[in-house]
Amino acid sequence: MSAADSGSGGLEGRHMAVITVENLRYRYPHTEKLALDGLTFSVEKGEFIGIIGANGAGKSTLSQALVGLVPQFYKGAYGGRVTAGGFNAETVPVSQMCRTVGLVFQNPFNQLSGARDNVYEEVAFGMQNLGVEREEMKRRIQWALELLDIWQYRDRNPFDLSGGQMQRVAIASILVMRPEVIVLDEPTSQLDPAGSEEVFRAVEKLAKSGITILMIEQKMEKIASYCDRILLLHEGKQIAFDTPQKVFSLDDLEEYGIQPPAFTRICRAAGLSFKDGTYPVTAESAAEFFHGKDFEKSRIGETDVSISEPFFSIQNLDFHYSPEAPVLQNLNLELDGRPTAIIGQNGAGKTTLVKLLKGLLKPVSGNIYFKGRNIGEQTVAMLAGQIGYVFQNPDDQIFKYNVLDEVMFGPLNIGMSREEAEEKALEALALTGLTGKEKENPYDLELYERKMAAIASVLAMDTDVLILDEPTIAQDYRGRQIIGNVIRELSGKGKLVLAVLHDMDFVAEFFERVIVMAHGQILADGNGREVFSRTDLLKEACLSQPYVTQLCRKLGFEGIYLTVEEFLGKK
Amino acid sequence: MKNISLFTDNGTCLTKVHPFTKIAHIAAAVSIPLIVGRLWLFGCFIGVSLCLLAWGKVLKRTFPLIAFSFTILITIFLIHGLFNQNNANVLFRLGPLKFYREGLLYALRIGLNILNMLLSFAVLVLTTRPSELVDELEKRGFSPRFGYIISSVFQIIPQMMGTMNTIMDAQRSRGLETEGSLRTRAKAFLPLISPVVMSSLINTRERAIALEVRGFGAGIKKTWLKDRPRHKGDREATILCLLLILAAVVWRVGTWL
Amino acid sequence: MKDLFKTKFDAACIVLIPACIGINYLGKLFASVLKLPLWLDSIGTCIGGCLGGPVIGAVCGAANNLIYGFTAGDNITLIYALTSLGIGAAAGIMARLGFMKTFPKAIITACAAGLTAVVISTPLNVIFWGGTTGNVWGDAVFAATQAAGMPVFLGSLLDEIVVDVPDKLITLILVYFILKGLPKKLTALYEADAEIERLN
Repeated sequence: MSAADSGSGGLEGRHMAVITVENLRYRYPHTEKLALDGLTFSVEKGEFIGIIGANGAGKSTLSQALVGLVPQFYKGAYGGRVTAGGFNAETVPVSQMCRTVGLVFQNPFNQLSGARDNVYEEVAFGMQNLGVEREEMKRRIQWALELLDIWQYRDRNPFDLSGGQMQRVAIASILVMRPEVIVLDEPTSQLDPAGSEEVFRAVEKLAKSGITILMIEQKMEKIASYCDRILLLHEGKQIAFDTPQKVFSLDDLEEYGIQPPAFTRICRAAGLSFKDGTYPVTAESAAEFFHGKDFEKSRIGETDVSISEPFFSIQNLDFHYSPEAPVLQNLNLELDGRPTAIIGQNGAGKTTLVKLLKGLLKPVSGNIYFKGRNIGEQTVAMLAGQIGYVFQNPDDQIFKYNVLDEVMFGPLNIGMSREEAEEKALEALALTGLTGKEKENPYDLELYERKMAAIASVLAMDTDVLILDEPTIAQDYRGRQIIGNVIRELSGKGKLVLAVLHDMDFVAEFFERVIVMAHGQILADGNGREVFSRTDLLKEACLSQPYVTQLCRKLGFEGIYLTVEEFLGKK
Repeated sequence: MKNISLFTDNGTCLTKVHPFTKIAHIAAAVSIPLIVGRLWLFGCFIGVSLCLLAWGKVLKRTFPLIAFSFTILITIFLIHGLFNQNNANVLFRLGPLKFYREGLLYALRIGLNILNMLLSFAVLVLTTRPSELVDELEKRGFSPRFGYIISSVFQIIPQMMGTMNTIMDAQRSRGLETEGSLRTRAKAFLPLISPVVMSSLINTRERAIALEVRGFGAGIKKTWLKDRPRHKGDREATILCLLLILAAVVWRVGTWL
Repeated sequence: MKDLFKTKFDAACIVLIPACIGINYLGKLFASVLKLPLWLDSIGTCIGGCLGGPVIGAVCGAANNLIYGFTAGDNITLIYALTSLGIGAAAGIMARLGFMKTFPKAIITACAAGLTAVVISTPLNVIFWGGTTGNVWGDAVFAATQAAGMPVFLGSLLDEIVVDVPDKLITLILVYFILKGLPKKLTALYEADAEIERLN
């Protein structure tokens, strides 16, 4: 820290820029297009800056440019100047820059050093490299682990922790190196909401500690409530760098792949703006607007529930991996054609249940019938043509050299002809927005595109049932809309879409039936409105309401509104 | 998480002996019988290793290691007993097979050598935490980069094995048959191994970034969380091992002259 | 040709090595589970050589055997650290000379790696095991040569050729296809002569 202080010399006192970026331009090796094109901004000490933009806008590249990984690690073509704490990120080695700028990125797994078998030593890894004295290391480790509420896991193997815990270990490992600035590159994008909440709580604590934070994030509600200023990127270019209110009140946000926070959308639609023409961005400021205004409450018509033939009928199902720890106990459930979301905390038994439905696991006792036939009597391969299952991590299945072959693998396995398989594959790729990428190497695609390819590869098998495990992870606004469309499209064809997910706003928008699970049992089962009105029950399952529902409660509305459109009575 | 290291901390004195002392023991046990070239010396060192293993209460866990190399031992006995070039005197017959004294003696020498190496290594392997060995090596000037490679292997393999199970499920879900004839299994080879190989290679990019941003290779003298005090007798045992090797060399040179 | 052995010892190359060693382990495991008459335990070593160059390949190979020998109790592999080192270096040199660019050239690399393995392993086999390799097929050949009264060294050489050349052939064919599938964004990290271009 001291080196950095002397570097910038305290010229302007309080308004000291800790990061300055001047006309930053960068191109990855073997590519033609600039990943970053003419960025210019500066960040003052203690500020909280949000960086937003669609997937592929250059956000991660920027975060890596701030530590010097771009260009030192990637090479390529570089222009302009980035300084952090007085050091030039182009030339000062990353191993030295890291004393000034700490970087935390998406994947919690790959951020661990991979060389330490307990959390305590993992956190020490960076300090050891920097030659921090022993007693000081111990002090800092305890401080960081306690700050992030992971002191109790200090003797555990970091790889055995949950995503949220791992990500906090990653933050702690960076924090102990005492950087002046911490850059968080979508730290929650690959976590479930429980894990995300843990990380967001940690981020709040950090913000209070006075450290300068730059955070890339897709959850606009969070960005809106934390940030002093927001940097909006689109295709490598800087679109805006201003306060959340100003940025989220821009008219053409959707063109940049950004959906403003729910509260902003409501106020905009209702025409409620501040004097300067901007809209509120947090629940609190939006609620103030509505108070005292006699806002007409729209009545919500009950949607008709069309109950079709059940796809699955589950009777007295018991399952455990070892007899001491039952996972599912005496479960009874019928699943019909409505798009169904299964929600609940990690370890509630959701994934186990869908694996049983797919035949990947066998019930300990009880029966599962699929269209009247007992699943226990059929092999996974026999079920493959009828029940599709998209795994969470696309990298667990990709092995072909181009996207089309990858997507055709499943259809060919279940006995489709080449022509039919190709037709189905092209259809599936169109539905998932991957048209034009057929001939690309799947590994050249970004994670969010690979996830789409994995969904397409199961869609192409044209199964009666589609099971999705956390489909919205790593997706931006556009990606979520695409997945939503897939769900509606399949449902319209009379197929069952069953999803395990944590994204409550997405659940509220696209699913007709919501099943809440906790401790291997079903706590609630009904449409979104019924389920999300049961606050006591949501609390028991450690779940939160959709943002709009939260706003309604703040306003004291009695009805339960699930989406912005519903709230405004457009539906 | 399943660990590939054979170490378990059973709290015996042997686990507290410094890793370098155990390495000195290996050096002595492996080199002395080979330098001197007498059969009975193999026996001596096998005996010493066995005593050490018993003292460390890990004798039982040594047997799987021996069983592992059993097939190669049998092949050696068969081939040399039957076909060794120097075979002259038949020792015994098994049906039509004639086993010769010279070949069997030769095989015995090789067998004892393998057993001796196996047991002396077992003393180190079964009672030393790999990370401790790496730390001690690094403290003596061993490159931290190589230290990282060693520690990392112990984390990466269990991870890959874990991923294998998920991949198996994911591909079966897409209709891949993994059981059946050799042809079916051979066809399943690529879809199963390819994702884990590719993703482990691709993950190296982020892992490298993770190391860079944590000051890896900063070229500053590393610091450590723990000191490793020498166990009582560590120094003496090491010196004894080295003296024995020296004595063996002197003896050998002496006989040549 | 002075760049042939040029090696970066940066973080990217360092993390490549454990990944390669892990891949070796998996290959070996698969071969034994499927009961294939092959080792398949140098897939990772060859990948390391092809991506990082001969030095990284050699380090991958040697580290692989040393680590298993010292920590997993498998000290038979320890002796063959030298062989693995040679295989990694051979694959690395061939790749740098451009012999991994097309399939026929990859086959030549496979032969080079296989012969390197034979040349180094044969003396080791003779010294430590009296000529056997521990592979059923190879040892059958060795037994036959001994029964026919051929010298130990020649028998052991044939034993090795029967085992190692087909093994390296399959290995490098696999490696060729793996490398072909790797994204540019990754392989660009290992280009030893990459420079930063300045945009103005």
